[in-house]
Amino acid sequence: MVVRRREKILPKVCRECHRLVDGDSCVICNTANLSTDWTGYLVVLDPRRSQVAKKANIDLPGCYALKVR
Amino acid sequence: MNGDESPGLHYFAVKTTSKQERTVADNIQKAVEQSDIKVYAVIAPKELKGYVLVETPEEFARMEQLVERVPHARAVVRGETSFDEIQHFLVPKPVVSGINEGTIVELIAGPFKGEKAVVKRVDTGKEEITVELYESLVPIPITVRGDNVRVIDTREPDD
Repeated sequence: MVVRRREKILPKVCRECHRLVDGDSCVICNTANLSTDWTGYLVVLDPRRSQVAKKANIDLPGCYALKVR
Repeated sequence: MNGDESPGLHYFAVKTTSKQERTVADNIQKAVEQSDIKVYAVIAPKELKGYVLVETPEEFARMEQLVERVPHARAVVRGETSFDEIQHFLVPKPVVSGINEGTIVELIAGPFKGEKAVVKRVDTGKEEITVELYESLVPIPITVRGDNVRVIDTREPDD
């Protein structure tokens, strides 16, 4: 009997801006330098008021990875 | 509190269902969009299992109201943390920090799992280390990811 392990498919992130992307390239950086090897998750809703976004150098709202390999 | 901390911002920890940290962060985003409760950012660090951190100008009671509407979020932890205590999550240090040549490590993943090895080379850029198995008669260099090892001893081996 073949036991299939359920693997979690992680979305791709841009290696430059760490933003989660849907397609094959990052629309912000215009690069196809993407990675699925990432950890940590950050959702920025208001980058202008957020201290966290400032520390992470993020100026656009969205979903980001904290660490990308 | 240091000088660059904005006044009026609170940092709360929200307890989540196991392994649903990312889902909760997304759900908080959706819940915030459908309500008047303000949240500026949600952090789900890898090191903090079972919790997400919420940056908000709102008080504790308002966060409890929000969490009631968020699937997989269980409760807001009483008390709050500060930006100083959470900022290290935002600038993660390389996994190979603390590993030098001569460090004795144990491989915790891959075909050599459980074997002890001596570090021969550290590649900080790629976050990889090259090791030689401790009990192997023929020294064969093996390159593994920095997070696939556990440091046992940082001293230089005697022989």
